[in-house]
Amino acid sequence: MSALDYLRQRNTPRTGNQILSRSGRLTLLVGIAILAALGPVVQSVQPFWLNLLVRMLTFALLALSLDFVFGYAGLLSFGHAAMYGAGGYAAALLVTEVTASALVVLPLAVVTGVIVATIIGWLSVRARGIYFAMLTLAFAQMLYVVAFTDLPATIAGMETVTGGDNGLYGIQLYELFGIDFRERLNYYYLTLGIVALSLAGIVRLANSPFGRVLQGIRENEERTEFIGYDVQRYKVIAFAISGGFASLAGALYVPFQSVANPQLLHWTVSGELVVMVLLGGMGTFWGPMLGAGLVVFLEDRLGSVASWEVILGSLFVAVVVFAPRGLAGSIITLRNDPRAAIGNAKRALENYVRKVRG
Amino acid sequence: MVETFLRATLLGVQLGMTLALIAAGLTLIFGMLDVINFAHGALYMLGAYFGAVIAVNLGSFWLALVLAPLLVGLIGAAIEVLSLRPLYGRNPLYHILLTFGFAIMIQGAIVQIWGGQARRIAQPDLLTGTLSIGSLNYPIYRLFVLVVSTVLIAAVWLAIDRSNLGILMRASAHDTEMVDALGIDVSKVFTSVFVFGAVLAGLAGVLLGASRSVNPGMGMGIIIEAFVIVVIGGLGSFRGAVYAGLLIGLVTAYGALIAPTLTDLFLFGLMAVVLMIKPNGLFGTTEAA
Repeated sequence: MSALDYLRQRNTPRTGNQILSRSGRLTLLVGIAILAALGPVVQSVQPFWLNLLVRMLTFALLALSLDFVFGYAGLLSFGHAAMYGAGGYAAALLVTEVTASALVVLPLAVVTGVIVATIIGWLSVRARGIYFAMLTLAFAQMLYVVAFTDLPATIAGMETVTGGDNGLYGIQLYELFGIDFRERLNYYYLTLGIVALSLAGIVRLANSPFGRVLQGIRENEERTEFIGYDVQRYKVIAFAISGGFASLAGALYVPFQSVANPQLLHWTVSGELVVMVLLGGMGTFWGPMLGAGLVVFLEDRLGSVASWEVILGSLFVAVVVFAPRGLAGSIITLRNDPRAAIGNAKRALENYVRKVRG
Repeated sequence: MVETFLRATLLGVQLGMTLALIAAGLTLIFGMLDVINFAHGALYMLGAYFGAVIAVNLGSFWLALVLAPLLVGLIGAAIEVLSLRPLYGRNPLYHILLTFGFAIMIQGAIVQIWGGQARRIAQPDLLTGTLSIGSLNYPIYRLFVLVVSTVLIAAVWLAIDRSNLGILMRASAHDTEMVDALGIDVSKVFTSVFVFGAVLAGLAGVLLGASRSVNPGMGMGIIIEAFVIVVIGGLGSFRGAVYAGLLIGLVTAYGALIAPTLTDLFLFGLMAVVLMIKPNGLFGTTEAA
């Protein structure tokens, strides 16, 4: 018996699989309605906060995309920045060179993300666990170097493609049915609409037979393979779908910020994304979105406090130690039995002290 | 031409051995505790900062080289006992989140305490200057780093392979229940492994802090390189970390001759190729996580 097996026996089991129930869906609808109503309020009180809300929403979409492969298929992608950045750069290039129509650019950006994800996924799925994570990380970092050094321009003999270190500036906002997206509230609604649609699509996918196979792969890969499923193919397809949503997030973010730079592709983006998903509670979809929104919000709000990194880091550590199923897990427990909250907290603390004493 | 090549080789070997020293701590901690320690880079950075402070205030590089890693070890002990210990046996993914949290925290604390500007640990007088062999000039300090790293790695290797503590460590990782049943406090063994890894990171921090700069970005920079090495070598394999460290050092040094801006592309490309051919790394035996 290995150390890990032995210790696993003594500790709590991992999180179960939650697919959105009917009441869960209702809650989400209410949440989206609240967010929609919040827009004009924020606009009139503090317009700058709309930017923050859009940023929170794009990261929520990115976290959602990661949770689909990570929480459902059990594939820890440490390179989701690759698809995020690919979507962002695709949008930037299309908007500046071809058209600013969202109906053209967004689908093409998604296609770009799907292609990148298919290639990375196809090359990586043979490796498992941490090795898979490191492979996806490697490919994402390679894309980062390619964008940073503007390798495409060197190869094609052009002056610039990715804009190198500086990135691409002054990306115009989208055009869609003559709506003026320079009006920030409109862009907020565009983002909110796309995020809501993406969530609906992903929940549907997860509930479909395809999604069940992915869960099967997560729970027991060998068994799923033995039943007759082509596990590798399912994984690649799941990764490709996830990549499509990740690039959608990138394509929403870049014109809004009007800049596409290599930083989009950097591994720290992928790392933070994994943190957001785990913090929120993997495998629940809404949890990671909440986690992402919260982290972006805190980063923005605590940015003025000098030691915000210390606070953020401590928060992560506290959540991992005391709320292993993330925010979602805590919320579910709290909802199921609100009166037990104090007792649970006390027990968790006692448990912690006992384990620290060894 | 030959001279450039020789220079690059020497540089590559020196870089490789220091990287191996950092990766060794990482791979030991993974191999024995199953913990993917994202805070390893931050501990390395702490070593460098402690080293800088000690070297300036006590005026001795040698004191810094001894004291700073011990301080880092203390912090490592606190991290292990207070946060990792209650988490053993949980999905290893949680260790990533936990140690990532510590990495962010330490980074923030360093900027808060010492500010954002870069500093440098002064090299001891004894080791300044260059050594000339024929037409080849080489900084003495780099040779010193090469020798110290090599000796340390050999010592650690021997300690794990031969010493009683090393055998106990390996036994605890292999069959925790049995070692526990023999009346040995396994949790103390685990703490020592983590502290040991932290001390190695701190040592590397002081060593490199005197030849590179000490800055708040160094931790996040080194951790990915260390991960690349550990993964190429095979997670948990000490031998793998040493060989892969040398390989990466040489690739970096030769890569710098051909296309300096693309060295990272070579590194990650190499890692991708290795993992596609051998999904568990060069010397990895079991599938991780």
